[in-house]
Amino acid sequence: MRTTISIILIAFLSSIAEFFLPWWSIMPVAFGVAWTLRLRGGAAFFAGVAGIAIFWIPNMIFKDFANEHILSSRMAVLFFKAPNYALFIAVCASVGCLIGGLSAWSGSLLRRGD
Amino acid sequence: MRKIFGTILLGITLVLVYVLDHPIGTRFPALGRLLDPVNGCWANAENVNYDFNWENKFPTLHHEVEVWLDDHLVPHIKASDDHDLYFIQGYFTASFRLWQMDMQTRAAAGRLAEVVGRGEGDKILNFDRKQRRKGMVYAAERSLEKMESDPATRLMMDAYTEGVNAYVAKLKKRDLPLEYKLMGFAPEKWTNLRISLLLKYMADDLTGYTEDIPLTFLRDLLLPEQFELLFPGKIPASNTVIPSGTEFSPATLNQAQAPAGSLFPHFFTGKNGGGKPTAVNNEPSARDEASGIGSNNWALSGSRTKSGAAILCNDPHLTLNLPSLWFEAQLQAPGINVFGATLPGAPGVVIGFNDSVSWGFTNNYRDVKDFYEISEADAGHYLLNGRPLAYENRVEVIGVKGEADVTDTVHYTVHGPVMYDKHFVEPDGFTRPLAVRWKAHDPSNELKAFYLLNRARNYLGFTEALGFYECPAQNMLYADRRGHIALWGQGSFVNKWKDQGRYIMNGSDSATLWHELIPMTENPHASDPEQGYLASANQCVTDSTYPYWYNGYFYEFRAWRINQVLQGLSKATVEDMFALQNDNYSWLAGHVLPVILKRLSPDVVRSKWAVDLAAWDCRLEPNSKNATFFQTWWYGLYHGLWDDRFKNVPDKLLPLPEVTMDLLKNGFRGVIPENDVDKLISSSFVKAQDSLAKLDKSGQAEWYLAKNTTVAHLLKLPAFGYDKIKAGGWGNTVNALNGNHGPSWRMVVEMGKEINAWGIYPGGQSGNPGSKYYASFLGNWANGKYHRLVLFPAGSPPAPNQYKYTITVFP
Repeated sequence: MRTTISIILIAFLSSIAEFFLPWWSIMPVAFGVAWTLRLRGGAAFFAGVAGIAIFWIPNMIFKDFANEHILSSRMAVLFFKAPNYALFIAVCASVGCLIGGLSAWSGSLLRRGD
Repeated sequence: MRKIFGTILLGITLVLVYVLDHPIGTRFPALGRLLDPVNGCWANAENVNYDFNWENKFPTLHHEVEVWLDDHLVPHIKASDDHDLYFIQGYFTASFRLWQMDMQTRAAAGRLAEVVGRGEGDKILNFDRKQRRKGMVYAAERSLEKMESDPATRLMMDAYTEGVNAYVAKLKKRDLPLEYKLMGFAPEKWTNLRISLLLKYMADDLTGYTEDIPLTFLRDLLLPEQFELLFPGKIPASNTVIPSGTEFSPATLNQAQAPAGSLFPHFFTGKNGGGKPTAVNNEPSARDEASGIGSNNWALSGSRTKSGAAILCNDPHLTLNLPSLWFEAQLQAPGINVFGATLPGAPGVVIGFNDSVSWGFTNNYRDVKDFYEISEADAGHYLLNGRPLAYENRVEVIGVKGEADVTDTVHYTVHGPVMYDKHFVEPDGFTRPLAVRWKAHDPSNELKAFYLLNRARNYLGFTEALGFYECPAQNMLYADRRGHIALWGQGSFVNKWKDQGRYIMNGSDSATLWHELIPMTENPHASDPEQGYLASANQCVTDSTYPYWYNGYFYEFRAWRINQVLQGLSKATVEDMFALQNDNYSWLAGHVLPVILKRLSPDVVRSKWAVDLAAWDCRLEPNSKNATFFQTWWYGLYHGLWDDRFKNVPDKLLPLPEVTMDLLKNGFRGVIPENDVDKLISSSFVKAQDSLAKLDKSGQAEWYLAKNTTVAHLLKLPAFGYDKIKAGGWGNTVNALNGNHGPSWRMVVEMGKEINAWGIYPGGQSGNPGSKYYASFLGNWANGKYHRLVLFPAGSPPAPNQYKYTITVFP
């Protein structure tokens, strides 16, 4: 339950934060949620990954479909020399999820270390 | 334990975030920022159904402005005065093309290293230094002063700049053009100087080319009669821009006479302590690369058209890039209602038509840029007529991304800035100081010419506008709704003595200085000629009856072909004009093939390719393999004839293909033994056979694949550009489409009761690679198709089916 709440909170708060702040604002959000809700290590990492995933991935997919993959295909050619837009979405998502997961995990470790 | 681990993990996370938030070196962007769905590249994924309707307020506007966007995203702007008109033009252009405007004017000003670093082998830094040293910023500042001293152009520039800045000011970081995010910088405030820089950028593109250095060497290398034969300067058989037989008004100046004295330095003879250049570059010659830079325009008077109305056509050939050089727009306000191609970064329409007249440009190619050898006296002085004169120093500070600024002191002389010296060596290793005197250095107000052209109602208005047009010299074509046509070889030209500025001149003798200007009304021109049409395609401007001497860099093939086709048209339609603009017939192939096929040795004369070529229609069509064979054969033959002979000449200048064709037809007059020519014809044929066999095997033998026409993104990122475009032609066909140059804007305007106008360019209205409008014209352009250019009438609003979106801007 606490994990589910954390996921929702991370997704919600980071989407607000990113509206005003740069991309790295997902880090203090994930860290802070894990700290406040005293998540356990594994659960914290999962919550961080999932929280950013449910914020970032639908956001990208929504924009990508409205754009008919024009931008994502070009970016995929830029990065991988092939117009694989799904791969590009996956790479973007993994960057955010990794930062979200690590932040939440370190938040939980530091809080529970008391 | 947890705390320690937690601290370490937090540390790792912070480092990771830091790394992702910073660019790596000068080449890789900050990935975290770029990949972020909210603020990164995803913000540039424009919805394909994006609703461009909006309303806004700009307190500095005088009145309400209405803008209609049609389904190509062409803005039709209707304003109540000039200020509001150019404000909104600036605002709209910036909203579609801001990054491009920024980059092109940065390139003009030599400010690229500031945002991309010094580049591999200092490539970018050296580019910036070259721009500064040729006087680009100096020139732009001088013209700016002149443009700002004229109230009309001052208003035009101020309003445009204000509009661009209104857009920049409201731009959120996440809405920055994608390229800013990739390169990690942000736009600055736009300035009037940027407008001036853009105009100088065009002047450099169109008049920057010179042959002074190689011709200086070639003249000493060759016997005089051979030099004259191989480098005649003007091809006698030219179908000149101003039709032969046109009577020129008597000259009011005396043709300048060559003064006495040592006017030109000699480098092969060692007279001036010179010698051969230390290094010779083996790159293909500049002329080879440039072949096809240029343009076509022609106009038919009513006597030659089916409708009885005059038709004007223009296709300027420039480097093809994305975002495109051009942006379509209509500008409407009291006293002006004009449609056409605008240059993002400059107010007004450059090529287009209004409700009375239409006009188009081709490059004139008269030489307006000369090199002078400077005699250095000591560190701060140079010699003129034996006396030391002090340099005027201009300190250029060049920003370099991630490094300290680089300072370059440029010496200015009476002959202009010293472009090359021991601190900045000419690319071919020519080490002596060379100053450059260039017409673009002089203050001029071309913007006023565009201002008046846009508002011209008749021929008188057209010529009034031309009076302000000094550089880059253009062949300016005119047609109006009363059926008149005219053509001017327009620009500001010095009354030069014979050969002045054709070779490097002796800068220590004041006799070589530029003197008086030819009155612009005496520039070559023709109107309503008997032949019923006028055409220019960068060929020689006049026949020998023009009273003033000039030299230039002229090409003839396209002009020959255009004249041939137009002479055969008596009831021309716009469709005929489309066909001619897209004509892939090679005049060279048509005239040289019969000769060289006949001279093939007996063992290859009956080979498959020789038989195929004999039956070929000489059209460089996209699927033709004969085209690939001919071009490969010709390339081998041409370079085989000349390369070795001129390999010690810097800047590698070879005789023109026009000259070579003539020699093949009429004999080499001792320059090369005819026996050797015969051997070369056959050996290059055999080599072409081998090349074609290889190409065929890899499926690359079709002409469009072999030539690989590319429309590249300005950053040369393949992901944002297009290659292997399926289109025919080459630099010497009317459809002058080679590797990366070609028709950058095709326009056909029939000036009838209803104006019937068509156009297209290889790109799209939006500069955003994430927009469906980024390259939306490209396919039709490659296929020779056009879209209608609709001039909304003044007074009444357009019909609802003529536009898709409405934008209203309030004061």
